[in-house]
Amino acid sequence: MEPILQVKDLTVSFNAFAGTVQAVRGISFDLNPHETLAIVGESGSGKSVSIKAVLGILPKNGRIEKGEILYKGNDLTKFKEEDFYSIRGKEISLVFQDPLSALNPIMKIGKQITEALILSGSVEKSKAKAKAIELMEAVGIPDPELRFEQYPFQFSGGMRQRIVIAIALASDPELLICDEPTTALDVTIQAKILELINDLKRKKDLSIIFITHDMGVVANMADRICVMYAGRIVEYGTAREIFYEPAHPYTWALLSAMPDLDTKEKLFAIPGAPPNMLMPPKGDAFAARNKYALQLDFEEEPPYFKLSETHYAATWLLHPDAPKVEMPEILRERIARMKEKEAKSNGRAE
Amino acid sequence: MTKYIMQRLLATVITMFVILTIGFLVIRLMPGSIFDGYDEMTPEMMQALNAKYNFDKPVIVQYFIYLKNILLHWDWGISLKMNPNVPVWTIVKQKIPVTLYVNFYSLLLSLPLGLLAGIVMALKKNSGIDYGVSFLVVIFISVPSFVFATGLQYFLAYKFGWFPIIYDVNAVGTAKLHSLLLPILALAFSPIARVARYLRAELAETINSEYMLLARTKGLTYTQATIRHGIRNSLVPLMNIIIPMFTTIMGGSLVVERIFAIPGMGGLMIQAINTSDHQVTLATLMFYSFISIITILLVDLSYGIVDPRIRIGGGKAE
Amino acid sequence: MKIFDKNDYKDLDVSKLQYVQLEESIHDTNFETKPIGFFKDAMLRFCKNKSSVVASILIVIIIFFAVFGPMMNDKGFNDQDLGRVNAPPKIPFLADMGVGLFDGGMTLVNRRVENLSDTSQYPEGCILDVYNRRFINGVEMCDLEVDYYIYNDVDEVYWFGTDYLGRDLWTRLWRGARISLVIALVSVVVNVVIGVTYGSIAGYYGGKIDMVMMRITEVINAFPNIVVMTLFIMIFGTGIFSIILALVVRDWIGTARLIRAQFYRFKQNEYVLAAKTLGVPDRTLIFRHILPNSIGPIITRTALAVPGAIFSESFLAYIGLGLRPPEPSIGILLSEGQKVLLYYPTQVLFPAILISVLCISFNMFGNGLRDAFDPTQRGA
Repeated sequence: MEPILQVKDLTVSFNAFAGTVQAVRGISFDLNPHETLAIVGESGSGKSVSIKAVLGILPKNGRIEKGEILYKGNDLTKFKEEDFYSIRGKEISLVFQDPLSALNPIMKIGKQITEALILSGSVEKSKAKAKAIELMEAVGIPDPELRFEQYPFQFSGGMRQRIVIAIALASDPELLICDEPTTALDVTIQAKILELINDLKRKKDLSIIFITHDMGVVANMADRICVMYAGRIVEYGTAREIFYEPAHPYTWALLSAMPDLDTKEKLFAIPGAPPNMLMPPKGDAFAARNKYALQLDFEEEPPYFKLSETHYAATWLLHPDAPKVEMPEILRERIARMKEKEAKSNGRAE
Repeated sequence: MTKYIMQRLLATVITMFVILTIGFLVIRLMPGSIFDGYDEMTPEMMQALNAKYNFDKPVIVQYFIYLKNILLHWDWGISLKMNPNVPVWTIVKQKIPVTLYVNFYSLLLSLPLGLLAGIVMALKKNSGIDYGVSFLVVIFISVPSFVFATGLQYFLAYKFGWFPIIYDVNAVGTAKLHSLLLPILALAFSPIARVARYLRAELAETINSEYMLLARTKGLTYTQATIRHGIRNSLVPLMNIIIPMFTTIMGGSLVVERIFAIPGMGGLMIQAINTSDHQVTLATLMFYSFISIITILLVDLSYGIVDPRIRIGGGKAE
Repeated sequence: MKIFDKNDYKDLDVSKLQYVQLEESIHDTNFETKPIGFFKDAMLRFCKNKSSVVASILIVIIIFFAVFGPMMNDKGFNDQDLGRVNAPPKIPFLADMGVGLFDGGMTLVNRRVENLSDTSQYPEGCILDVYNRRFINGVEMCDLEVDYYIYNDVDEVYWFGTDYLGRDLWTRLWRGARISLVIALVSVVVNVVIGVTYGSIAGYYGGKIDMVMMRITEVINAFPNIVVMTLFIMIFGTGIFSIILALVVRDWIGTARLIRAQFYRFKQNEYVLAAKTLGVPDRTLIFRHILPNSIGPIITRTALAVPGAIFSESFLAYIGLGLRPPEPSIGILLSEGQKVLLYYPTQVLFPAILISVLCISFNMFGNGLRDAFDPTQRGA
């Protein structure tokens, strides 16, 4: 199957007051049609910057140093602002992190949904309204006729996020990028929004890139997962591979830091702070915070070691001559529990 | 919305009333009789005059008489020093039009120019144009309007002869505008700069807002997003500076009117103060208060129209 | 994307595949850079801003002249001499360099050319320029530019000329600048003191006290500035103190609101809450935590309020409510000069330049301070 989006060796940097920030340092990933790809990483790891580059909405001081972004065979890095007008909304859409600030406070909800449709001239005004109301129903807004005429401040946070999703879907895109869509919401609403996104994906045949810092959110969403750290992808694989056979110490740390109901011990916290991206460290950027770091991790950048056809990780620990390392005890127990649970629920389902 | 309007109207009436009361009391309680300086007057004459103008009654009684005359007969008293025995309202009503003309036109001129300059600066932020216009903005904000007025009068009117040096009272139509253009310009510089500076800051912020980004990602062009979401939204808080802006124009117009010999409220107020004609002074002070309070009212109301959060938020209480 | 292949890494030093920190406890590294204090940091940022540095230098120069200018010649600010009224400015060495503004030149029109050589009428060396020669009724006429000082046999030199009473405008300008600056600075300081006190009380206590205090400011604010200042001067007269107070009557409200807002902002901050739960007394809270954080905005506001005060002082002078004569202020010089603008433009030129430079400098200085104290607001 031909991937819908291919990112190859993408490098993005920013000119800042203090120097050049290397936000994304050569990342590559593919997105297959009708697939959900999750990009996981902590703040500042470069995940948002990568997708801003995809949509051509990098801030003025940011630029793509090298690499390709192939969408249906077209290289988006070569696109000018005008070329993106036929892509944004219509082909690729974005759901924002914070629905509170993503909606224009003084414009009616309905107008915000139909605006792009009407301005692009693709749909008449009356039809646009019908479509908007249909969409509002689809994203689970009660009384859409009434809500159409209301303003953002009359909506709750979860409702606003539904509206943002409706806006993103208004021009029938094929690819939906969700940039931490649940981070700003209450936990109870998070699950509903995730469910909605999964539901819409099925109904509208979407491909989704899902960006988050929360491993817990990813579990039920993603087909494949990229783990990013300091502007690099350190490990990628299918969701099962990442959760059950993680290989990079950073992924271990992330998984250990994920709260779950059964863990009795104190929650694991990753020591140290992410590196300063003005001067990214040599070698594996995570080495300084990594208990299992090898001498070589500090000196030479690790290549990707192939673990399976779909699973790769960039750490020298996987080198055949490296000391054999076991993932931390706490994580092993946790994975065992997860597997057990899954087996149980599968058993029940059958 | 109706409730909101009623509240604002009521507040306006109360404020006017408070200002009138304080103004009256301050002026009436000032030391010295208004007949100081008329040494040839006999005590009998003074007494007769005092009785005629109710100055022999307690201040509170005088105040209620004054208030009653205004409310019932629109009678603001009579001038005692400048044009003795002429009703204050007769004097004032001749002076109001030209003052409003000058103030209104400067505001009218400054809004579009200021908006334009602000938009250009925000869109070209940190470019040569931005720095150039910003420098002009600092100069326009800093230099007082009467200095501009003096400069314009000396160079454009006196040296080059493009405009009359002083206002031509008999001019009408475009000739009137031509004759008042220099004072209007002098008063407009500072508001133009204020609007420009404010809009630049505001627009630079909205342009970087999430909803601008959303507008672009949903398929609007950069220009469409900037106009429909950026500029429109940054105009809302602009209301905030219209009040101080208008007050600055008004304060400046007092002096600028004098420089160009415009027979308006400014000149009247200066003359009334300097001749201690208190009835006239009080009326001119009330005029300036009225104008600024009306401006505040209009701004409050237009806020309600522009910003749905205020309009509908107020509506909920009904 | 580089995938591991043994052949690519033939020279790899396998001995380096060793744990180096397995047993160490990893903790946050300390910052390697030295921390910079708030004010030092602000100072550094301020100095990087060229226009505000230039503005500061101009302010210092003006203050220098306001203090020492009146002493630079032997003329008093109120020495009148009707024999030398409305003299044009003359600074000999500038005149020699050909700077026309300072050559003491005065224009005489419609003079007979034949009289030009008559030294009893035109003392030797007084004619600077002859132009516009023409014949009227067969007589050759011309316009003249003469040196006022030689022409009128005045043996003194007035750098900035004299006014309609023959008073030295150099002395008066700098004395006026001194008084205007004193009025502006004192009124701004009073404004800040009242505003900070009032705003702190309202912001600290909150609740009903705050509500009442804010209502009061709203009432005062409803009075237009012109009206308040006029009434104030009418009651208390045109002394320097009543002018200072007239400038404060309404302006302190802005400061009070700013401080109140700061209190509300910081009251909710975790560190203030934390300090409170630890039992830190209120006084310490206010003086150690809340007020220091407000110093930046206060200083900025102070600097930006100065041009406003200078403007108001001039405004009062223009409408006849300024200082009593003979005391000069920039506003009084401007309004006196304005009366003779068309005949003696330099009488208005120097105070106009001074007030403009002063206001521009204080505005740029204030903008620089704001950017320095609050880098996030840059350009706003």
